[in-house]
Amino acid sequence: MEIKTDDYRVWTEGSEIFFDGAMRLASSDAGASITALATRVLASNPASITLNLKDLHFLNSSGINLLAKFTIEVRKHPDVRLVVRGTPDIPWQSKSLPNLKKLHPAVVLLMD
Amino acid sequence: MTTLFGTPDIAIGMKESVSRVRLFDGPLDLSWRHCATTSDFIADLFALRFRSSRNDYMEVRHSIGYLVNELIENAVKFRAPGEIVIEASMDSECFKLKVSNDVDGEDASAFQGLLADITVGDPMDLLIQRIEANAANPDVGGSGLGLLTLMNDYGARLAWIFSAADDSDRICVETYASIPISQIHN
Repeated sequence: MEIKTDDYRVWTEGSEIFFDGAMRLASSDAGASITALATRVLASNPASITLNLKDLHFLNSSGINLLAKFTIEVRKHPDVRLVVRGTPDIPWQSKSLPNLKKLHPAVVLLMD
Repeated sequence: MTTLFGTPDIAIGMKESVSRVRLFDGPLDLSWRHCATTSDFIADLFALRFRSSRNDYMEVRHSIGYLVNELIENAVKFRAPGEIVIEASMDSECFKLKVSNDVDGEDASAFQGLLADITVGDPMDLLIQRIEANAANPDVGGSGLGLLTLMNDYGARLAWIFSAADDSDRICVETYASIPISQIHN
């Protein structure tokens, strides 16, 4: 499964979802295809889901909201572990990703 | 009649050397691209003085770019047909931004209602509450999340002035923002 635009790419490898590029969604609705992709991974009921954001250089607030909503969806499945992989080298990730743990304390946030 | 929301002391005239960019009206898809191009340009310009430190440069460039992008995106989404004026300046402590555009009277009222809700209280609590409410009821929309993200994650201080526009059906909105440069170094 892959979503590709001029600015960003999202694809899955097993239950790991990779994000690459600069994502400036015009609204939460603009990310519907990404939400659908992530929801399909969740529906397969894996032991864990990883959001790999290490190559996502920019994400606007609509995109951050999309990640937050998906985190809340995963929270409804206590048997599914959510791992979020980011990097301290990309400032938006250090600033905004810790908020996901406030929504779902069981999120494993790996900033390496 | 002028109405103010947010931190009053930053809603004053921009100081000495101000850089100004004017975005003309156009189709949404093109305007959306202008948000990215303009915010990257302003961020590049103002981060230049931090070139000597790679970390500072990356932080400052990102924070300015994020702030400018969010506020221009809002202006592009909600403006009445017409231009958007972006003014920016920086001193040793803060990067300051002012975004001016007209909106329809109805949109101005809705926006004022939103601002009344999100400018009082702790931004972290408000951000989490809004995300939860939005997830529980998709019809609520994501409104205000960008502004709360700026306040909470970027330490932005924000203010808005609404005043009568030349066209009587419209309201002129000036959005003021200030982010501390010293805090960016952290």
